[in-house]
Amino acid sequence: MYVRIESLDFSYTPKEKVLNEISFSLYEGEIVAILGSSGSGKSTLLRLLSGLEMPDEGSIVVNEKTLCNAKTFIDCEKRAVGMVFQDYALFPHMNVEKNIAFGLKKMTRSDKKKRVMEMLELINMTEKKNAYPHELSGGQQQRIALARALAPKPTILLLDEPFSNLDTDLKTRIRRELRGIMKTTDMTSIFVTHDYDDAREIADRIVYLENGHIVHEETITH
Amino acid sequence: MFKRLRRNTNLFSVTSILAGLLIIIPMLNILTEVMTPASDAWLHIRRVLLQRYIVNTLVLIGLVAVFSALVGLFAAYIVTRYEFKGRKLLSWFLILPLAVPSYIAAYVYADMLSYTGTFSRFLRAGNIGLTIDIMNMSGAVFIFVMTLFPYVYMLTRSALQKQNAAFLENARLLGASRAEAFYSVVLPLLRPALVAGTLLVVLETLNDYGVVAYFNVRVFSFAIFDAWFRLGDTVAAIRLSAILMIIVFAIIFIERLIRGKRRFSGNAKPKPVPRMPLSGPWRFILPGLLWVIMALGFFIPLAQLLYYASLTFTDVFNTGFVFLVINSLTLAITATLITVFVALMLANYNRGRKSSFKHALLKITNLGYAIPGAVIAVAVMLFFIDLDHMFYPLYRLINPESARLILTASLAMLTFAYVLRFMAIGYNSVEAAYDKVGEKFTEAAYSLKTSKLKTLLKVDLPLIKTGLISAAIIVFIDVIKELPLTLILRPTNYDTLASSVFRYAREEMLQESSVPALVMILISSLLIFFLTHQKKGVTANVR
Repeated sequence: MYVRIESLDFSYTPKEKVLNEISFSLYEGEIVAILGSSGSGKSTLLRLLSGLEMPDEGSIVVNEKTLCNAKTFIDCEKRAVGMVFQDYALFPHMNVEKNIAFGLKKMTRSDKKKRVMEMLELINMTEKKNAYPHELSGGQQQRIALARALAPKPTILLLDEPFSNLDTDLKTRIRRELRGIMKTTDMTSIFVTHDYDDAREIADRIVYLENGHIVHEETITH
Repeated sequence: MFKRLRRNTNLFSVTSILAGLLIIIPMLNILTEVMTPASDAWLHIRRVLLQRYIVNTLVLIGLVAVFSALVGLFAAYIVTRYEFKGRKLLSWFLILPLAVPSYIAAYVYADMLSYTGTFSRFLRAGNIGLTIDIMNMSGAVFIFVMTLFPYVYMLTRSALQKQNAAFLENARLLGASRAEAFYSVVLPLLRPALVAGTLLVVLETLNDYGVVAYFNVRVFSFAIFDAWFRLGDTVAAIRLSAILMIIVFAIIFIERLIRGKRRFSGNAKPKPVPRMPLSGPWRFILPGLLWVIMALGFFIPLAQLLYYASLTFTDVFNTGFVFLVINSLTLAITATLITVFVALMLANYNRGRKSSFKHALLKITNLGYAIPGAVIAVAVMLFFIDLDHMFYPLYRLINPESARLILTASLAMLTFAYVLRFMAIGYNSVEAAYDKVGEKFTEAAYSLKTSKLKTLLKVDLPLIKTGLISAAIIVFIDVIKELPLTLILRPTNYDTLASSVFRYAREEMLQESSVPALVMILISSLLIFFLTHQKKGVTANVR
C-alpha cells in the first residue's frame, strides 16, 4: 500500500476525542473521499496527514516513509504533502505565477518557470499567469490552488472541501476537470467532503466518517 | 436634473458639501498666496536654510518611521502570536504611550537626563560619570518612537488578529520554514496596516512643534513657526507650508504607487492563528522587552511627572488651574461634538449609491489629518482674516465701534481648525461602524416610509452607538493633546492644558508643567481604558 494510516487518535481537549482509531490505506494513484457531516473529524484528519496537527497516537506512512508514529514526527514543511484549502488560501499579494512557484524553492529560475508553465497548461490557464487572485473567478482560483499544490510534485494531495465555495453549475464541470487532472498526474489523493455527489463523481473509494470513527467504505466504479 | 437635485438635497448632503467647501477654501487660499511676490526673508530662507529644513525633516521622519514600525510590529507580533503571563494586560497597556503627548515626554526626558536630572544624579551616585544628551535629532527620534509607536502597534495587532491561519499553514506545507513564512507571507500581508500605522506616525511627527522646538531640531514645522512669529513673514510661512504639503502628498502618492494592483487580504474567512506558549528563556526575554518599551513610553515619564507634581502641586493647583481644565474640556468637547456630527453626516451622505463627486468630497474633508498643524493654522488664520474683512460692514451695522477682527480673535477659529484637522479620524471611526452594520437596516426603514432623519435617529444611531463613542473618544484625546494649532490660534490670554504645559516648559518651569501634563495624561489614559474595554454593543451581533 502507498499510504498506510493506522490507529490514529486525536483530541483538542482531553475530554473529547475528535478521531478514534482511524485506520485505512490507499493504493498509489488512488483517489479516496472522506465523507462526513460537519464535526465528524474529517478536516482534522487532513490536518494530521499534512502535519499541521500532531496525533495523540497512531502512525502515518507514505511511500514507505514514516511521517509520524510514537517516536517520529516530521514537520509539515518537510512532508512533501500538497494541500488545497477550503478557501484556497491563495496568497493575495502574489500573482498566479508567484503563487504556483512558491513551493519550488530548490529549483533554478528557468526550471521554476518551466514547471509553472507546465502547471498552467495542465489546468488550462496559461493566459492568467500575471493575474492576481482577486482578479480570478472562484473556479479559476480553485484550479490555481490545485496547480500550486501539485507543482512541487507532492507524494500525496489533500483537498479540504474543494467545492464548498463554488456554485452548483460550476461544481458539476469542475468535478470532472478535477478528477481528470488528478488522474493525468497519477496523484494519490484524499479529499474531504460532506456532499455524496462530490465524493461519487471524483473518488475511486469513499470512506464514511461519523463522530471520529470510520463506519463504512464503498468502492466506486467509473 | 432639478428633480434629482431636489431628491438629493437633504441634511446629509448639505452639511457634507458645506464641510467640503469650508475645508477646501482655506487650503486653496494657501496655494493662491504662494503666488504673491517673494519676500526678503523667503529669499534668505531659500538660499541659506531650506536645504537644511528639507534634509532634517526627511531624516527625522525616515528614522522615526523605521523605528516605530519595528517597535510597533514587534510588540503586536508578540502579543498576538504568543501566550505568556500578563499578555492581556500588555495588549492594551501598549496603547497607553499615546496618552503621553510627545512634547511632554520630551520635557521630562530632557530634564531627567540633564546634569541635575534624576537619571544623571542616580548614575553619579554609583560613580558613573555618564551624561546623555537627548536634546538633538537622535533624542527627538527616540521621543517620537516611544510615544507614537502605538499607532503602528494598534493597526498591525488588529491585522495580525484578522490574518487567516490558512496562509501561514499553506506556506509551511509548501516547504517554507517559520522564518521564511514570516518574511514571504505574514509580513507582506501586514503591509497595509504597517504602512497605515507608520504613515500616522510620520504625519504626527511632521505635525509636531513642541518636541522640535524644545530640542532645537530645525524641521519644517519649526521653520513655519519661526518665519511667522520671529521673522513676522507670512509669505515665507505660506511658502514653507506649501513645500511641506507637497512632501506629505508625495509620501502618500509614492505609497499608493508602490502598492499597485496587489491586494493584501484574501476572500477567505479568517481563521485566527493560534497563540503559541513561550518556552525557555524566551518566556522572560520577550515579555521583558515589552515591559521595557512600556516603561520608556509611559511609566518613566509618568513617574517623573508624579514626582514633580508632588513638589509643585500646591503652587499650581488654584482657581486659575481649575479654569484651565474647564477651558480645555469645553473646547475639546465642543470640537469633538462638531467633528462627530459632521462625520456622521458625511458617512450618511456617502452611503448608498457611490459617485465620483462623493469620492472627491470625502478626500477633501479627510485632508486635514494629512496636513501638519502649522500649515492648517496658517490656512485657517488667513481664511478667518478674509472672513472678518468680508463681514466687517455687518459688524459695523450691529456695532459702529466694532473691532475689525471678531472671528479671528475668537475661539471659533481654533474650534474650526480642530474640526478640520481631526475630521478624518472621526469619519473613519463612524464609517467603520457603518460598514459593520451594512445598509440593510436603513433600507428596511426607508422601505417602511420612515424619513431619513427619523431613520438616522431611531435605527442607525442605536446600531452604531459604540462606533460613535469610539470616534468621539479618539477625537477628544487628539484635541486635548493638540499643540501647534492651539499655540497659534488660541485667543490672547486664553490657555489650555496643552498650551500651559508648553508655556511652563519654555520658561524652564518643568516641575510646574507636571500638573497640567498629568491631568492630560490621566484623562487620555482613562479614555483609552474605556475605549479598549467598552462592550462591542449591538454592532457586534448584526451580521
